[in-house]
Amino acid sequence: MNRFLSKDFLAGVMFIAFGLTALWFGRDLATGSTVRMGPGYVPHMLSYIMLVLGFLIAVIAMFYGSEPVEAPQLRPIVMVTAGLVAFALLFETTGMFPSLAALVLIASLGGTEFKATEVAANIAVLTVLCILVFKIGLSMNIAVLNGVW
Amino acid sequence: MLSNLGLGMSVALSLQNLLYAFIGCMVGTLIGVLPGIGPVATIAMLLPITFHLPPVAALIMLAGIYYGAQYGGSTTSILVNLPGEASSVVTCIDGYQMARKGRAGAALSISALGSFFAGTVGTLIIVLFAEPLTQMAQKFGPADYCSLMALGLVAAIVLANGSVLKAIAMVFLGLLFGLVGTDVNTGAQRFTFGIPELSDGIDFAPIAMGLFGIAEIVVNLERKMTRSGAIKVTSLWPTREEARRAWPAVIRGTALGAILGVLPGGGPTLGAFSSYTLEKKVSRRPQEFGRGAVEGVAAPESANNAAAQTSFIPMLTLGIPSNAVMALMVGAMIIQGIQPGPEVMTKKPDLFWGMIASMWIGNLMLVIINLPMIGMWVKLLTVPYRFLAPAILLFCAIGAYSLQNSIFHVEQVAIFGVLGYVFVRLGCEGAPFLLGLVLGPQMEEYFRRAMLLSRGDPSVFIQRPISLGLLVTTAILLVLMALPSLRKAREEAFQEEEG
Repeated sequence: MNRFLSKDFLAGVMFIAFGLTALWFGRDLATGSTVRMGPGYVPHMLSYIMLVLGFLIAVIAMFYGSEPVEAPQLRPIVMVTAGLVAFALLFETTGMFPSLAALVLIASLGGTEFKATEVAANIAVLTVLCILVFKIGLSMNIAVLNGVW
Repeated sequence: MLSNLGLGMSVALSLQNLLYAFIGCMVGTLIGVLPGIGPVATIAMLLPITFHLPPVAALIMLAGIYYGAQYGGSTTSILVNLPGEASSVVTCIDGYQMARKGRAGAALSISALGSFFAGTVGTLIIVLFAEPLTQMAQKFGPADYCSLMALGLVAAIVLANGSVLKAIAMVFLGLLFGLVGTDVNTGAQRFTFGIPELSDGIDFAPIAMGLFGIAEIVVNLERKMTRSGAIKVTSLWPTREEARRAWPAVIRGTALGAILGVLPGGGPTLGAFSSYTLEKKVSRRPQEFGRGAVEGVAAPESANNAAAQTSFIPMLTLGIPSNAVMALMVGAMIIQGIQPGPEVMTKKPDLFWGMIASMWIGNLMLVIINLPMIGMWVKLLTVPYRFLAPAILLFCAIGAYSLQNSIFHVEQVAIFGVLGYVFVRLGCEGAPFLLGLVLGPQMEEYFRRAMLLSRGDPSVFIQRPISLGLLVTTAILLVLMALPSLRKAREEAFQEEEG
């Protein structure tokens, strides 16, 4: 078992990465003095704390080992994220129905079972439900299909 | 005190607020009853629907959602042996066994009535303690507040599951994310990357929805959900023997849960586990536990509801959230323009007492909603997850969009969903992150103000007696954590939870 693929080691690396990112993007913020703290004082302090903690966690994991990280299944997370992004991209340009259909279709691909008829039925039911709840019930200002309704 | 309660009742009993409490309880139960989705995810996903309401109604509704999700979770535990949340895990053990013996109805009604009793006691405790605690909190200066928040955060870590070091790092990561936006004192832009939407800070709702809602859906999609099939519910009435055994357990569970709920980092889960252990110890029939003991349902269910109530105490009086659910409530209050803390009670008594009164009303409503309508919830349990998951995602997406009619929020949900998934895979708890996030901006404020007042002398934190006392307590907690014997005990306590 590779000791670098443990939960703790990778978590430590993640914290170090966040610390470095915050330091880099916060480099222009003035630190100021302890009496009159500039906008950068607390961010810099937190970034260094992140680095130290991340380093500690990673080193401890390297020497004492920790639980191995489970091999991630890529499909659910990729499909769920892709579905949300597709929804975001389509919602304002095309309206609710196309973005809804895209989200449900893509997200359904992330599950273990996929039957086209079931997904179509799900899309139909959810479309009606969303029109009733959001368009009519809460009278939100959203288009079901851009330019049509 | 009575006049306060009277004021609260008059607010909570207004037709509008009753309606929102009812909707909250219904929607909360609806989502909470779904297997694998606990109260934190439920509240996170439903945050957007409360945004456009007036503050009192929004908080009443959120509280309703919380209790609803708790109740819904116990229904799922008893009927299909799939806990929706950590605090229902113990209910599964004996609840499902009771259900298999044909006593599902009795288990459900004992759990509902026990919860209602616990909720009533919990509400009374809040009423008793709210005023003295608030008065104490009003004496706090900036340094004291800073130390109090440090204590809250550390205590939350001590009681969190898993690695302490990782939990501490998660708090700091949360604090770091809380910095995004315009610096209050100087107006400088921090970590906004030139995105105008970020200048007010990262919105709380998309983070919560992504980290808890989306990540939870993904994790559920990964493991195949095998259903053991919901059990039919026949008579709801417990037998006389069952009732006689349940009552003392309900009272013990309520007492233990109410105490543990007030502790920072405590809350429903701790209450439920401790009370189950206690019942097993005091019972004359310990061998029945795990085979459908009535006490094993009554005690943890009462304890988790009592703790759910009393965990509001530190949040309402001091503004310190003790667990992830309370962090979400603090976030919701800030969005509504209310800074949680001792001023809420003095400046907005209608909101404060209205919310407390509505807690009791919400609990009453849940008994009424849950018992007769149990058949409907059981039906919902039979809907396969492959239909539910896309539907929940869709409502999250539309909800996020509706926050400010902007697709940027939907994109944020997607980003934080990925981050939340990474956290789960690396064994990093989301709760400490959320606590850091909501406390971050205030803590920086108090820290900077304290340093300004003391002219940069950090000894102000140990010169003020309140601050010193709080810091000493924090230090003691940290030292205790490092003691090997205690660490072992803590690990064992959580092992049981995972098993």
